[in-house]
Amino acid sequence: MAHHRWLALLALALALAGPAAAQTLRIGILGPMAFVQGEHTWHGATLAAEELNRAGGIAVGNQRYRIELVRVDTNEMTSVTDAATAVERAITAQRVDFLVGGFRSEAVLAMTEVAADYRKVYLITGAALDGILAGRVDRNYDRFKYLFRVSPTKSSDLARTSLLLLGEVIQAVRRDLRVERPKVAILAERAAWADPLVETASRLIAAPAPQGYASEVVGTWRPSATATDVTPELTAIQRAGAQVIFTVLSGPVGVPFGRDWGRLKIPAAPVGINVEAQQETWLKATDNLGAYVATLNTLAPSVAITPKTIPFIANFQARFRQFPIYTASGAYAALYILADALQRAGTTAADAVVRALEATDYVGPSGRLVFDRTHDVTWGPGYTTGLGVQWIEGRMQAFWPRQWRVGNQVVSYAGVRPYQLPPWVVEAWRR
Amino acid sequence: MTGPLRLWSLPWALLYLRHEVLALPGRTLALAFALFLLLFPLFSQDPYWLRVLTLTAIFALYAASWDLLSGYTGQVSLGHAFFFGISGYASAILGRELGLPPGLTIPLGALLATLAGVLVGLPSLRVRGPYLSLVTLAFPIIALGLIFLFPRFTGGELGLSGLPRLGGSRLEEYYLVVLLFLASILVLWKLSGSRVGLLFHAIREDEMAVRMVGVNTVRLKLLAFAVSAFFAGLAGGLHAHYLRVAGPDSLSLFNSIQPVIWTVFGGIATIYGPVAGTFLLFPLLEVLRLAEELRTLAFALLVLLVMRFLPQGVVRGVLDRLEEECPRCKIRNAFTRKRCRACGVELHLGRPKEVAR
Repeated sequence: MAHHRWLALLALALALAGPAAAQTLRIGILGPMAFVQGEHTWHGATLAAEELNRAGGIAVGNQRYRIELVRVDTNEMTSVTDAATAVERAITAQRVDFLVGGFRSEAVLAMTEVAADYRKVYLITGAALDGILAGRVDRNYDRFKYLFRVSPTKSSDLARTSLLLLGEVIQAVRRDLRVERPKVAILAERAAWADPLVETASRLIAAPAPQGYASEVVGTWRPSATATDVTPELTAIQRAGAQVIFTVLSGPVGVPFGRDWGRLKIPAAPVGINVEAQQETWLKATDNLGAYVATLNTLAPSVAITPKTIPFIANFQARFRQFPIYTASGAYAALYILADALQRAGTTAADAVVRALEATDYVGPSGRLVFDRTHDVTWGPGYTTGLGVQWIEGRMQAFWPRQWRVGNQVVSYAGVRPYQLPPWVVEAWRR
Repeated sequence: MTGPLRLWSLPWALLYLRHEVLALPGRTLALAFALFLLLFPLFSQDPYWLRVLTLTAIFALYAASWDLLSGYTGQVSLGHAFFFGISGYASAILGRELGLPPGLTIPLGALLATLAGVLVGLPSLRVRGPYLSLVTLAFPIIALGLIFLFPRFTGGELGLSGLPRLGGSRLEEYYLVVLLFLASILVLWKLSGSRVGLLFHAIREDEMAVRMVGVNTVRLKLLAFAVSAFFAGLAGGLHAHYLRVAGPDSLSLFNSIQPVIWTVFGGIATIYGPVAGTFLLFPLLEVLRLAEELRTLAFALLVLLVMRFLPQGVVRGVLDRLEEECPRCKIRNAFTRKRCRACGVELHLGRPKEVAR
């Protein structure tokens, strides 16, 4: 008799445990986990998963699913082979249902090939290359329809934003230094991704208003992405009489640039892309010489891009004691977008989820996310644009978009302050 | 013992198997390894493990090609990724521009790598030792520069993606790669044991002496570069189509150093050493994914320990314990034998007794 009672209890336990185990969605979080980009992807996803699970999980049809994150170290900074193998392991051995993350474009290209082989929905949150989606989703929809990009905006849109920031600084030079035709130096790292941006910037700077900036390009300097000294370039820029330096730097050269520029007090204001200056460690890395450097970024402290921005930053900082970089806000938004699509689809079947994802209109911490026909995040006023930030008074402050007019729309975020030219630049050119 | 008609007869094959293969632990292990590769899909068709084994076979071929050049002739190449990378790119570009299938573009890529091997080999006629290593190191860097110079053609720093697959399924790709790998290793092994292989050895030991006996070492060194580059190129083409991406990563310094680690770990100047090294280390790195934080540390520690206790590499270290060389006829015997299988001389002779003073 006792024997039967134990069997009944066991059957009951299995009956209770069975459906609970089946109601788990396993989401593979991909990234170079030894690097800040991968670590923040994991942190952002963790924050979202905890919030979603606390709220009772995701309702899909008649069932509720809890989210279980699977940490997948892609080691993509070192090896593309390793990255692609990690994705195959996540799908086949670790049995993940969906994929989120990825950072290095070259590796993400190989990783997405594996995801497409297995028809797994993959939300990219780190790589900016246009060609990861454009030319693949639109030309070979059946194979690549499972790919979406939540962050960042694609390279060509990053270029558009950085040129808008340049326009802001050129305006400041005209206004504060009373220079009618400002001189701009282009300092771009020697890398293929920077080439189209250099070409477009050169054309736009010299073109007459209103299409161009009616300014003058005094030269283009191309240091190595890993250069440890940019003094020769900076002294040449100073000799060329530039008031503005348009930076296109994604590699570690950003730090020596900031340090040398501040130490030599070069009388030209830097603005553009400087990935090193996007991080909260910037001032420490440049021995406090990187003040006044301006760069494109995704988030800035105290700037409410949407109602979700400040709570996200506050929760992230409380939980992980760091300021989130764009992969964190991307992974956080990706989980919510996926949860929303699953609820609308009412099933976890990949094709139905893809259709639901295509109809996404979600307001995340870094802006409103709507996918275009190549499954890329839409750029522009009312959607996601990025921020212009500058290091002032020991912290990162946003200066763009502020009264940004596009057609009838005016885009402005609370907490955005006017751009400030470095004092030694003002002093040098007012004399 | 066997006439030409009986060469492939079953009794002869069995005798050969018994007396030439199973008689030696090293050869038995090699046979077991080949059988393991060929029969693995009968036991598991897990796509992840098929992928790991496929990539391991590609890299093992790459490492063995390095061994032929650097291990045998002593022409230490630190830029072997040049052959691996340009073959992948050539295959990708030929496929994209001319619409040729991988079955054609991969051999063409390997042939281009062969030409590149001769090109890289030319400096070896003038420079030696560390200087040659530095010269070889420059070639992948030059190739990278060219790739960034013509981004429309090469895809720039992001490479070329969406290459056609090697086969219709993971299993098909597995068998294609494994059969090519086994055939290539057999060719490399036979070559290394041939007269040419002996001369390669001799060049490494004393090039002047080889030249003095009338051997054209220039031709031999170029041959080593060409053959090695061909097989590295073959591996590079297979790799590009397996990943479906040909990128600058394939030309990185890391990719040049990897075959050196695998070869030194397995046993240099053996051909089967790099194969064993790659088949031990590459899957091990995958297993170590379970301990993500300790992965590289554990890997480095293991390599250091093996180098400390088996300085000749794993293969030599293990074989020296499993096999013994006959002191008279120099034929190798299993450690279990008391007498040499060829000349019958006693193998385990005790230490000579000390002569009483």
